Amino acid sequence: MYKKLKWIRVILALLFFLLITLNFVWFANSKASLLSPVLHLQFVPALLGLFTGTAVFFAFLLVITIFFGRVYCSLLCPLGVYQDIVSRIADLFKSKKQRREKYRKPQNFLRYFFALVAFLPLAAGVTLPLALTDPYSNWGRISSEIISLGENLIHNLFAGIFPESVFYRGYAPFIIEIFIFSAFILILVTIMSAFRRRLYCNTVCPAGTLLGAISRFSLFRPEMGSECNMCAACSTVCKSNCIDLKNRKIDVSRCVSCLNCMTMCKRGSVTYRFAYRRKEKKSGMESAGRVPSGMDNFSDDRRRALLTMGLAGTALVARAAEFRPFKSEKEKEVEKKHSIAPPGAQSIQHLKDNCTACHACISVCPNRIIKPAVGEYGLDGLFLPHLDYRNHFCGYDCNACTQICPNHALIPMSPEEKKLCQIGRAKFSLRNCIVFTDKTDCGACDEHCPTKAITMIPYKGTNLYIPKLDRDICIGCGACEYICPARPVKAMIVEANQVHLTAEAPLKEEQEKVKVDDFGF
Amino acid sequence: MERRNFLKGLIYGGVASIASFKSSTLFSKEPAAVASGGNNDLVAVMGGEPAQMYAKAIEAMGGISRFVKRGQKIVVKPNIGWDKSPEEGANTNPELVAAIVKDCLRAGAAEVVVFDHSCDHWQSCYKNSGIEDAAKAAGARIAFAHDEKYYKSVKIPKGKRLKEAKIHSEILDCDAWINVPVLKTHGGARMTISMKNFMGIVWDRRFLHANDLQQCIADCSTISKMPVLNIVDAYRIMTQNGPKGKSPDDVQLAKALFISTDIVAADTAAVKFFSQFRPMDINSVSHIGIAEKMNIGTTDLDSLSVKRIKI
Repeated sequence: MYKKLKWIRVILALLFFLLITLNFVWFANSKASLLSPVLHLQFVPALLGLFTGTAVFFAFLLVITIFFGRVYCSLLCPLGVYQDIVSRIADLFKSKKQRREKYRKPQNFLRYFFALVAFLPLAAGVTLPLALTDPYSNWGRISSEIISLGENLIHNLFAGIFPESVFYRGYAPFIIEIFIFSAFILILVTIMSAFRRRLYCNTVCPAGTLLGAISRFSLFRPEMGSECNMCAACSTVCKSNCIDLKNRKIDVSRCVSCLNCMTMCKRGSVTYRFAYRRKEKKSGMESAGRVPSGMDNFSDDRRRALLTMGLAGTALVARAAEFRPFKSEKEKEVEKKHSIAPPGAQSIQHLKDNCTACHACISVCPNRIIKPAVGEYGLDGLFLPHLDYRNHFCGYDCNACTQICPNHALIPMSPEEKKLCQIGRAKFSLRNCIVFTDKTDCGACDEHCPTKAITMIPYKGTNLYIPKLDRDICIGCGACEYICPARPVKAMIVEANQVHLTAEAPLKEEQEKVKVDDFGF
Repeated sequence: MERRNFLKGLIYGGVASIASFKSSTLFSKEPAAVASGGNNDLVAVMGGEPAQMYAKAIEAMGGISRFVKRGQKIVVKPNIGWDKSPEEGANTNPELVAAIVKDCLRAGAAEVVVFDHSCDHWQSCYKNSGIEDAAKAAGARIAFAHDEKYYKSVKIPKGKRLKEAKIHSEILDCDAWINVPVLKTHGGARMTISMKNFMGIVWDRRFLHANDLQQCIADCSTISKMPVLNIVDAYRIMTQNGPKGKSPDDVQLAKALFISTDIVAADTAAVKFFSQFRPMDINSVSHIGIAEKMNIGTTDLDSLSVKRIKI
């Protein structure tokens, strides 16, 4: 039975891995509406979105963990599946002996240190450390920065070979900071998994540690029964090195529910068992050598697990209460820095609270104007998505970023809602405008404005027309800023709305339909 | 270019002589060269559907084979600037584009290429304008124009402000091109018609905006590779909020078409027609006047042989 189950897990895991990754790769993400639902089943995004719309997904992940332990880690987590793939490949280069795993002690210091690093700031209202250690988001950043770059290179190779049927695709703006960060995580995870399989998941990953803590209380756990003859087959295939043969104990907090041990055991001794029947059958279990030496350690683990969950719980309560002792006093400074949050972000604070910087929105943007922030939001907004109108502007009919976000850090918006979502407002500075400085016609901003917040009006004393801006209609799409030819300073610059507003609807301008029967010349 | 045409001529000549007994069938599909309509300089048509008006107009111009020769590579350059549907009138009518493409192929063009340097996201423009589908169905190839690498720098010796520009290589490499603008208002240039449609063969349109737009538009029409025909789509005309428009409210159903070898005359006729819907002083569309002064064409329609057709 476990063999079948394991195959199902492997197939599903690869499928999820593929579908998740495709969300970040250009050739597929124009179909993002079909692919993006798989992103919802991610633990950290779901946890952060608990109060903003992803409670269902969080509850689902919590329930499967309470039932069967860290199923998430082996089935849904893309970084976890990536590690399995790497260790599979690494096995090809290992001798039979090197491939054999054995029990290792948990790296408790590192585990709880990283958990603390991630969840303590969260309790104080700062999301970033958790976002930067979240395995899904790290995979997202790796996909967005490295995999999609590779895909772009291949695409352009084809564009070179078939110039008439494959178009050349410009590269996304290269931002060194995020590239180095993603590459570092990729290399770290690759090396760790090549040598020690799921070590990363049980030392660095805060999601793993929290799920492990919950798993300590799960209803069904892998356990060794009395049929065991100590052949050690299970422990040699354990990715987490968590089967302690000597004490006949499986450290469920590290077990990623990969089912390897169960498929390996010839006697059917390692199986999922209902954990809370133990007390009734006490004597039987004791005879299996479970109690004496393990007990201290056991309660220690239990305490740590409770602490971790308590910390995460506190963080969630703090979020629910919007407890934010370090609410950045730099907000004004941020405003000056002119950083615009993508549509659906609601406010820069909402983005900072909920976004895990997985960069799905960055990958999906057809105009490639969403970029990872480096300093634009301040330090607590590192790598969060922000809009940059240097190379293009926000498409009026496009709502792709709001649709792909896994946890409503960008709330989903219909095209009609998005057309009124005011993420910022253009500011017109006459002294930089070509019409004013050169006394020649221009109208580039008016031409591009989708809402007609900009119109051209006669310019006094000349036969020229000059832009007039109605900031209430402006939605901050940046078309005017993008196209404005004035240098060195543009005449139209969009100023961010700290809190997104709803713009006034574009004016209705019905005109009388004229009947003409002549050519006019 | 010259050599290529010469070689092509040789090949086609060879084919024709070998298959001379078939020549009657070979050429029978071509529209009658120098048709009864005669060789007018400017033809204005109104009251029909786009393809129908085009057929009447091109006949009165002497047939497409006056402009498109067998074996030539032709570019049809519509306005595909905006991510808008045909009903919103921001882009050239797709039916018209398709009719022109078909006609060129019927005249024996080896290849017809359609492109524009869009302002909005280019793939959305190509798709939602309906032009990509219509042109492909008619047998054209869609070319890409969204990246600088598709453009080549060209000197414009007669230009006053625009002395050098990156022009799309399909234009530079083709044997002849047909300019197919749509008639719209424009906040900067006042009107956008044939000359303004050149913005879509240029890479850096910001430069034009920043260096006396009206002069640059006229300068652009001094390039050596001028279109052999200008076909102004006035089926739906945008009379306010151009060139992008907000909604179909900005559009009037005018059902007209202007065609001319003289780009200035085409634009002059179009502005005069437009003025009946909404007053527009042709002097304020100053690139037309500048172009006339630069001897690009004439605004004096009476000096031309003009044919007016009402359907």
